[in-house]
Amino acid sequence: MKKVRAMHDEHFVIIGNGPAGNQAALTLRQKVPEARITMISAEHERFYRPHLLPDFVAGTIPENEVYAAALEHYRTHRIKLRLGQRVVAVDFSKRNLLLEHKETVRFSGLILAVGGKPRIPEPLLVFRDLLLTFKTFSDARKWIERLHRVDSVLIVGGDLTSLAVTKALLRLGKEVRFVLNEDAFRPVRCKPEVFQEAAHRLSLQGVKVLEGRKLRSVTRINEDLFEVTADRERFRVGLVGAFFGLVPHVRFLARSGLTIERGVLVDETLNTGFEGVYAAGDCAQVYHTHIRDYWVSIGHDNAVSLGRIAALNLLGEKMKAEPKGETILCDDVRVNTSWWRDF
Amino acid sequence: MPKLDITVEVCGMAGDGTIAAGGLINEGMSRGGLSVLAFDSYPAEIRGFGRCVTRSRIGHERRTALEEHTHVLISLNDEQSLSRVPFLTEHSAVFFDNQPPTLVPEESSLAAHVEPATALFGMPFTDLAAQAAGSDRGRNLVALGGFAAVFQVPSELFEPAIVKKFKSKGQKVVESNVRCFQAGVAYALERFSERLWDPVSFPPPKEGPEIVMLSGNTAIAEGALDAGLHLYFGYPITPATPIMEYLAKRLPERGGRLMQMEDEIASIGGVLGGFFAGKRSMTATSGPGFALMTELITHGVMSETPAVIINAQRGGPATGLPTKTEQSDLHAAVFGGPGDSARIVIAPTDVPECYHLTIKSFQLAEKYQIPVIVLTDFFLDNRVESVPLPVAEDDARKDMTVYPDPDAKERYRRFKITESGISPRALPGMEGYIFAATGLEHTEKGLPDYTPENHSKMTEKRYRKLRSALEDLPSPVEHTPRGRVDLGVIGWGSNFGSVHEAVNRACERGLKVGALKLTAIYPYHEDAIRDFMSRCDEILIAELNFEGQLANLVGHLHRKEVLRLNRVTGLPMPPSVIYKKILEILGETDS
Amino acid sequence: MKTKGAYPAENKDATVEAPAVAYSTDAADAYYMDVNVPCQSGCPAGTNIPAYIRCLFEHRYDESYQINRTANILPGVLGRICSRPCEDRCRHGELELGRPVNICHIKRAASDFRRAPLNPERISPSMEKTIAIVGAGPAGLAAAHDLAAVGIKVTLLEAFDEPGGMLKYGIPRFRLPRDVLKAEIDAILEMGIKLKTGCRVGPDVSLQELLDQHDAVLLAAGCYVPRDLGIPGEKLPGVLTGLNMMMDLEARRLPELGERVLVLGAGFTAFDCARTALRSGAEDVAICIRRTEEDFTVTEDEIFQAKKEGIRILPLMTSSRILGRDRAEGVEFLRTRPVGFGPDGRRRIEAIEGSEFVLPADSIVVAVGQKPAPFPFPGGGNSDGRLEVSPEQIQTSISRLYVAGDYRTGPSTVIEAIADGREAAERIAESLTGRIFRQTCVRQQDTKATDRERSWDYLPRQEMPTVEPAGARLEDGAVEVETGFSREQASEEAKRCYLCYLHYEIDLNRCIYCRYCIDVAPRDCIKLVSRIHLNDDGAVVGLEETANWREVNAVVIDNSRCIRCGECVRVCPVDCISVTRVERVERIHEKGASHA
Repeated sequence: MKKVRAMHDEHFVIIGNGPAGNQAALTLRQKVPEARITMISAEHERFYRPHLLPDFVAGTIPENEVYAAALEHYRTHRIKLRLGQRVVAVDFSKRNLLLEHKETVRFSGLILAVGGKPRIPEPLLVFRDLLLTFKTFSDARKWIERLHRVDSVLIVGGDLTSLAVTKALLRLGKEVRFVLNEDAFRPVRCKPEVFQEAAHRLSLQGVKVLEGRKLRSVTRINEDLFEVTADRERFRVGLVGAFFGLVPHVRFLARSGLTIERGVLVDETLNTGFEGVYAAGDCAQVYHTHIRDYWVSIGHDNAVSLGRIAALNLLGEKMKAEPKGETILCDDVRVNTSWWRDF
Repeated sequence: MPKLDITVEVCGMAGDGTIAAGGLINEGMSRGGLSVLAFDSYPAEIRGFGRCVTRSRIGHERRTALEEHTHVLISLNDEQSLSRVPFLTEHSAVFFDNQPPTLVPEESSLAAHVEPATALFGMPFTDLAAQAAGSDRGRNLVALGGFAAVFQVPSELFEPAIVKKFKSKGQKVVESNVRCFQAGVAYALERFSERLWDPVSFPPPKEGPEIVMLSGNTAIAEGALDAGLHLYFGYPITPATPIMEYLAKRLPERGGRLMQMEDEIASIGGVLGGFFAGKRSMTATSGPGFALMTELITHGVMSETPAVIINAQRGGPATGLPTKTEQSDLHAAVFGGPGDSARIVIAPTDVPECYHLTIKSFQLAEKYQIPVIVLTDFFLDNRVESVPLPVAEDDARKDMTVYPDPDAKERYRRFKITESGISPRALPGMEGYIFAATGLEHTEKGLPDYTPENHSKMTEKRYRKLRSALEDLPSPVEHTPRGRVDLGVIGWGSNFGSVHEAVNRACERGLKVGALKLTAIYPYHEDAIRDFMSRCDEILIAELNFEGQLANLVGHLHRKEVLRLNRVTGLPMPPSVIYKKILEILGETDS
Repeated sequence: MKTKGAYPAENKDATVEAPAVAYSTDAADAYYMDVNVPCQSGCPAGTNIPAYIRCLFEHRYDESYQINRTANILPGVLGRICSRPCEDRCRHGELELGRPVNICHIKRAASDFRRAPLNPERISPSMEKTIAIVGAGPAGLAAAHDLAAVGIKVTLLEAFDEPGGMLKYGIPRFRLPRDVLKAEIDAILEMGIKLKTGCRVGPDVSLQELLDQHDAVLLAAGCYVPRDLGIPGEKLPGVLTGLNMMMDLEARRLPELGERVLVLGAGFTAFDCARTALRSGAEDVAICIRRTEEDFTVTEDEIFQAKKEGIRILPLMTSSRILGRDRAEGVEFLRTRPVGFGPDGRRRIEAIEGSEFVLPADSIVVAVGQKPAPFPFPGGGNSDGRLEVSPEQIQTSISRLYVAGDYRTGPSTVIEAIADGREAAERIAESLTGRIFRQTCVRQQDTKATDRERSWDYLPRQEMPTVEPAGARLEDGAVEVETGFSREQASEEAKRCYLCYLHYEIDLNRCIYCRYCIDVAPRDCIKLVSRIHLNDDGAVVGLEETANWREVNAVVIDNSRCIRCGECVRVCPVDCISVTRVERVERIHEKGASHA
C-alpha cells in the first residue's frame, strides 16, 4: 500500500491547475527531483487551455483537444494532482493551508496560481442567475447546450474573452448584440480610444454595438428568452452573457495578511511578502513603473512564463516578471492576447 | 449498451451503520432487477473499534465471484477507508463526509490519497443527518442518498427498502431515516448536478418468481427445513453458527427440535441417533469441530447410519482464521477418520446450490445409509446473492429409505450384501425386524465378526454402495467450447465462480479454454472427468488450499501432471488471478 | 431589587417552581462571561444579546426592545447604523460554522415591531443635584437619561438646532430615518430633561458659568472639526469636507456636485458622502483609498450596497495635490504599495515614487476624520488655554468636570459613545451622591431546555432586504435603503443564535467516562483533559488535553468551543450534564446602595 511521505519532507504546494500552476509544478520537478509536489485545484477538470474554449463552443475543435495534459503526465513526473478540492484558508505563519473538507496540509513552499473567476459588477448582481459567464470548461458546455436552442445573444461588458466568444457566436450564425462597457477590460485599464476601436471592429463583423453604458434590467420571459433594458433601449434575446473581466479567486485569502486588489499583490519577483509564498498567472498583481499602475497578466503565454518564474524564485532565484508575447497597445502597455490580435 | 458491472463498497467503523447501508444497497438494486453478489466483513466488536466493509457486485449479469477492485467507495469512516483506496479502479467514485467534527491532517485524509481520476463526492453526512433528523445517527442513510442521486437510481427503489428494514424500530425511526436519505439525495442533486454518473440502466421489469437476497447459510437452513429436517444438534462455530441460529427460531415452528450440545462429538452423536431412529437430522460445523466428529462419522459409515453434516470451511489449521475463507478440509471430509471410511462428500458452488444440495444430501444420506458431508466455505456461507426464491423439488420430503420386504422379517439381515451395496433398512421399532447395529465389523445380521473373509466382503460392499451413489450424485458440468481446448480449468465450491468468470473472459478473448464444475467430490465421476481431461491439453485446478487437495484427489485421471493454482490468503480468489494464470500457461500477455 | 436586562424568570405555570436564581459579582464569573458570550463582551455597552434574540424568537418584541434599551438607549437607531463589533465575534461566524448571526438587524426588528409605549423609568426620586451636559449626541443623550433616572436634574445643551449629534448631522436619512431617531430621543427627553438647542459653549455660555450653576458638568461635544489632508489645493472651491457636506444635506442645502465626484477617505462618512453624492445627481462617484478594500472598517453590507448603487472603489492610491485654478478640476495621486503591518495591526503603505497620475473631478469630498473642538477655559488647562483631556479618564483634572464620548476618545463609533456616556453617568452619580445605583453582575439559573434545535444550526443567514433595483433608491434620495426584516425573517434569523448564555457543564462526580458525548460532538468542544488551568481569580483559563487514557482526569466541555447544540445532553446515559443560563445583567439599587 502506498504510504504518504513523512511530513518533514520538503513539500511544495501549488494552488491552481491552469497554465501557470502546471508550468510551476513542472519547473519545480525539473529542478528538485526528490521534493514532494502537490497541485490542488477546485475544479474537477484536468488541465485544459481556457483560451481554446471559444473555439470549442464554435465547434472548430473537438473536446479532447482542449485538454492540455493527460493524467499520465502527473504520474510520470510524480506530481500529486488533487482535483475538485478547494483551499479555504492559508495560515502563513504556521505554513499550512486548510481545505474545504477540513483537511490541513503543511507546505514548505506555496505558489498561488488560482486564476480568476468572472466578475459581475455589483449593480448587476441582482440579475446574477439570468446571466451566463464564460470561464471554465463547465461554462463552455452550458453555452453549447443553450446555443442549440437560441439564435440571438447579448454580450454585456466586453472583456477580451467576449471578443473571442463573439467570434465563435458569429461563426455559429447567431445574431449578436454588444453592450460595450468601459470598465470591461478589467483587469486592464484602457483608454477610451481603444474602447472605440473595439466597438468599430465589432460593428464591422456584423455585431450590433449598443452605445449605452448601463444595463438597467434583465427579465426572464422563459428559459430561452430574456427581455433586456439598456438605458433607453429594450429588446429580447435568447441568452445574456456577462463578460466583465476576472476577479482573482482569492476570497479565501482575505484576512490572511496578503494584500488583495485586482489580484494578489506581489513584488517583481512574484513574492507576496511572505517567505516561500509566490503568486503567478492571472491572480498575480505587480506594480508596473511604465504604466504607473498595478498590472495583472492576461493570456496563456504570460501565465506560463510567470508560473516558471515563480517556481524558480521559490527555489532561490531572483528573476523579474516581465510581460511578453504578442501584444496590443492599450494605455501605453502591451497587453498580451492572441484573441485580440485575431480579431 | 455496455453491461453494468460495478462493485460498491461501504466502509466504516463498527457502529457506523455500515452493514445496514450495504444491505440497503443490495436490497434496492436487486429490487430494480439487477443481480447482486455481496460479501461483508466486520469485526467482532459492536462499536468503537474495527473496520466494517460491505462489498456488493452489481450488474446485469449474474455473478458468483468477487474481484479485488472497487468502483464506488462510500466512506463512513475515513481512517478505516484509507486501506481500501489502493483497490479503487481508475475511474472510481468516492463518497465521504466533507465536514468532519475536527480538522484532519493530510496523512489521515481520504481526499489526499485518491488518484485524480477518482471522482470525489464530499457531502456533510453528519450535518445533513443532524438537519434532517436531529442527530448524526442517520449518516449512513445520507451517504446512501448521495450514492442514489449520483448514480441516478430512482428513490422508489431505496425508500421501500428503508421502510422495511427499520419497521421494527417504529414509525419515528423509519421517518427519520427516510428524511436522512432524502436529504442526501437533495444535496447531491444540487451540488453534483454537473458530475452525475451515467444513469444505472435497470432492466425492464419482468414477470417471474420473487427475487430475494439470500446468504449461503440461510439457503442451507431453508433447504434443510424444506427437506423435512426434524432434529438439529449442534455447537456454535464460525462460520456455521448462523445456520443454528436460524434453525433455532424456525425449526420448532415446523414441528422439529433443536438442541445445543456440549461439543461437536455429542452433536454428531445426536445426528446419528436421530437418523437411526428414522428422522432427518443435521449438524453444521467448521474444520476444528469437524475434526472432533470424525470418529463418529466413521461409525456412521460402519453402522450404515445416515447423517448430514455441513462443514463450513474456514482458514486452518487448528483454530486457524475463523473469519477467513478457505477450501482446505477436502481431505479431512473424504478421508478423515479411522479405517477405510470413505463417505459421500458434496460441495455446492453458489447459494441456490446450497439450498438444493442440502435437500439432496438428506435424500442421499437416507437412501445410501451413509453420512453425507456438505462442504461449504466462509465466502459462500456469508455472502448474499440475489436469487429467485428457491422452490423445493417435489420429492424433497420423500422418504428415500430402502425398506425391507414385508415378509423378510424372520430372515431379516440388516447388512445383507446386495449388488448395489444398499441393504434393506428396518427402523428401530418396526415390528418383527430384529437386528444389531454396531461400530464393530459385523455379519450380515449385524453381529460382531472379525473373520478375514467377512471384513473383506463387508468393506467391498460398503464401497460398492458408494459407486452406486454416483448415479444419484450431480454430474460434473462442463463449460467448454466444442472440440479440443488448450487448457481446461477445474474448480469446486465457491471457487468455481471465479474459475468460470476467468474462463469466460479468456474465451471472449478468443482463447481455447474450458471449465469443469465438480459438485460431487466423493465419489467423483471418474469417466466424465477423464473424458473432459482427454479433450484438454493442460489441466489447471484452482483451489483455496495449499497443496491442491482436489488435485490430489482427481489429478491422477489426467495423462500428465495437472497444473495447480493454490492460494491461501483467507480471501476469495479473484477471477483476475485465475485469468492471469491462464494467460501465463498459454503464453499470452495481458493486453 | 429589580433586575433589568435579563430573561425574566416568569412563572407561567404557578404550580411549577422556577429554579433558584443566583447573582454573582465574582471575578471568575465575569471572566467566564467575557470568554463565553463573545457578542455581549464585544459590545461596548454590554447588551445582553442572546436574551433579546431569544425574546424576539418568542415574538416578545417589547421585551426584546426593552432588554436592548437597558444597555443602549437607542435600539432603533443602532439597529440600523451600529458598527456591530458583536457580529465580528459571534460564534456562528467561526470558520467552519458559517456566518455570524445578523444581530444588528434583529435589534431593528424588535424596534420595528414593538407596540408598547416607552414609559420613563425612574430608579430614584428627584434629588437636589443638577448637571449640565454639553452635547446632545449619543454620549450626551445616554448620560442624560441615566442621570435623570436616578433623580438628578439634567440640563442638556446642544449647539445645533436639534438634538442627535452625529446621528442627525452626520448620518444620512437613507440610512437612518429621522422619525425613528426623533421617537427615541423624545423618549429620553420625557425623563424630564431640559434641552436647550442653539446654545454653544464659548459664544453663548462659558464653561465657568456652567460649573458655577451646576453640581457637575459633562462635556460630550463630539468631534466636529474636520481633519485636513494637508495637501496643496485643498481650499479650492469644489472641495468639500465630508462632515460639512452631510450637515448641509441635513439642512436641506444640497450642494452642487457636478457629474464626477471623488471622495477621499475610507470611513463611514466617506461612504455616506459617496452615496449622498449619487443621490444629488452625480453620475460617476469613486471612493479613493490609500489601502485596499480588505482594510475597510465599514461593514461589508455598507460596501456592498455602495457598489450596488454604482460607486467605484479605487484602492492603493494617495492624494498628493488638488489641481485647478479657480476651481478644483482633479486630483493628482501617487500609487501606494503595502509594506507590512504596524503594531496596531493596521496595514502600512508607502507611496511609490514617480507614480503620479491624475483623475479629473467636478467635486472632491475630503472625509478623513474629525477632531474635537477645544473649549476655551481660562485659568485651567494647558499652555494653549485648552482643557487638558486625557483619553483614559472620564474625570478631568478639574473638579466636577467630566468628558465622555468622541470628545474624550476621538472619533469612534456610536455604540462606544453610548457606553461611554453611561459609564460617565454612573461615575458622576456616584461622586455626586456617594451611592452606586447600577451594578453589573452575573445572573445564574438552572434550566434543562436547550431552547433550540440542532437543525437550526444549518439555517442560512437572513439578509436584510433592500430597495431594489439600486436605481430606484436614487429616485427619492431620502428613502431608507434597508427595508427591515419581516416578522418571519426576524424569527428565522433569531433561530440561528446558539444562545451562548447557556452554560453546559459535566458533573465530574457523576460522569462515567463513556465518551458518548465526544462521539456526538459536532466539533472539538468536549475534551479529555489531564489538567485544568485556573487564573488567580479562579476562572478556567486553559485545558490541557491528553490522548493518553491513563492521564485522563476529566471529560470537560470547553465552553469557548461549545455551540450549545445539546447533543451531549441528549446522549448522556447518566444525565450528568447540567445546563445553566448565565447572563450579565444590571442590577438596579433603588435609591442607591452605599457600596457594591
